[in-house]
Amino acid sequence: MKRLLLRNLSKTYFDPYAGAHVTAVQDVSLEVGQGEFVSIVGPSGCGKTTILNMIAGFIPASGGEILLDGRAVDGPGPERGVVFQSFALFPWKTVLDNVAFGPKIRGLPKAECEKIAREYLALAGLAHAAGRYPNELSGGMQQRVGVVRALANQPDVLLMDEPFASVDAQTRMTLQEELTRIWQERRPTIIFITHDVGEAVFLANRVVVLSKGRILKEIAVPLPRPRAWDLLTEDAAFKALCAQVLQLVRSA
Amino acid sequence: MKPLLKLWSLYARVSARFPAIRSIVPFIPVVVLWAVVAESGMFPRAFFPGPLEVVQSFGTLVYKGILPDYLEDSIVRLAVGTAAGMALGIPLGVLVGLNQRAHALLWPVLLFFQAIGDIAWLPILLIWFGFSLTTMTFVIVYTVLFPVVLNTALGVRSVPLELHRAARSLGASRARTVWEVMLPGALPNIMTGLRNGLGYGWRALIAAEIIVGTSGIGFLMFDARRAGSVVEILLGMIVLGLLWYMVDAWVLAPIERATGQRWGLVTR
Repeated sequence: MKRLLLRNLSKTYFDPYAGAHVTAVQDVSLEVGQGEFVSIVGPSGCGKTTILNMIAGFIPASGGEILLDGRAVDGPGPERGVVFQSFALFPWKTVLDNVAFGPKIRGLPKAECEKIAREYLALAGLAHAAGRYPNELSGGMQQRVGVVRALANQPDVLLMDEPFASVDAQTRMTLQEELTRIWQERRPTIIFITHDVGEAVFLANRVVVLSKGRILKEIAVPLPRPRAWDLLTEDAAFKALCAQVLQLVRSA
Repeated sequence: MKPLLKLWSLYARVSARFPAIRSIVPFIPVVVLWAVVAESGMFPRAFFPGPLEVVQSFGTLVYKGILPDYLEDSIVRLAVGTAAGMALGIPLGVLVGLNQRAHALLWPVLLFFQAIGDIAWLPILLIWFGFSLTTMTFVIVYTVLFPVVLNTALGVRSVPLELHRAARSLGASRARTVWEVMLPGALPNIMTGLRNGLGYGWRALIAAEIIVGTSGIGFLMFDARRAGSVVEILLGMIVLGLLWYMVDAWVLAPIERATGQRWGLVTR
């Protein structure tokens, strides 16, 4: 079984303005099993994006280790897909070519890449937008492409960095529901970074509360699936979990 | 104001149907002013000929085959020089833009040589290569090179970090991201560099032709000065302007429409 293991992970920066070392992440240990959906929630500056960037291999860890399937993470790689807050679609590629990028890099034949891309676009209801350029799409559609592009590369773990923070509230709810649906269908391993307590609880099987670079608490979310906002907004268990997480976040 | 607005909306509608009008109408007042001043007899006709004389001389020079020949010479020189300047400039710009060490080592040298303007090289080039094609090509390549290098470097550096990271986490190697991310991301800036480079190169070419002078539009103009033919000098000037206009409308603008503007990297 492929699992992601963070062991005593830490990150310190040198802040040239303060003239001192700043600790962004301190002694974080976390285990994420295959097919799990884990949210990491915390206020801005708590180090959640730093953790994600280290798992993605964008920045090196100062201490501890990250193991995926027993192998140490060293630099970015296709087994760890990333969905960015800013979408980060290639503006010069059509939607189809954006999604087909991962398979193309893997060296699959052109027809195969296109087939995979079309399959995943259909999964997010984007079949009609295949030939368009990202700047011709709404923010919500752009991020659907961002999610699907990462999924089409079939990563072992999908890292999502506040992916829905820059779309409007209604679209965000739709995207969240779609994500839970896609997760149920495909069961990718997901680590989802957010500052939104409701979002964290709604999506995940497990919520990790982060504060000042440390894990404050891990909370299991045993809510049934499929999850929909209509059903959960008034759900007592959902509200209780949100209240519990919110209290932890605010106490930090 | 109302009739003027109506006139403008008529112009907008007609020029939407016949886009060619947009490149002609703005020049009408210029030509009219020129004709009026020439006809008024303010200046001796030989020093200040009117539009008609220039059109006549255009006809004569085309008929004799001089203008087409010279035009071809100038355009070929510019095209060869620009192609060579870009072939050198884009890779150099990518290198300087991506690599800190290359930037540290090359940047001061680039700035130094940029300051020695193209024309300033002519004296020594004439001693080395004489009145030859080599001299002219050197000047054009030199002129095109710097705007392309500097703008490419800027373009490469202004590609968002996230795009680079996205490509890497989708499995692209560092080398692959240069081709897949850095070059297309820098393309709008490369186009700016090309635009500047072509503009400077065009001027440098005319200057070189005037000094090195065996053929070309610059030579035509300088030769006309020797013969005291103001008409031909004016004709040369107009050809220069027209040619630039055509390069822009038929080469640069279409590329920009198909790339940066289409991708939303540049606002229309």
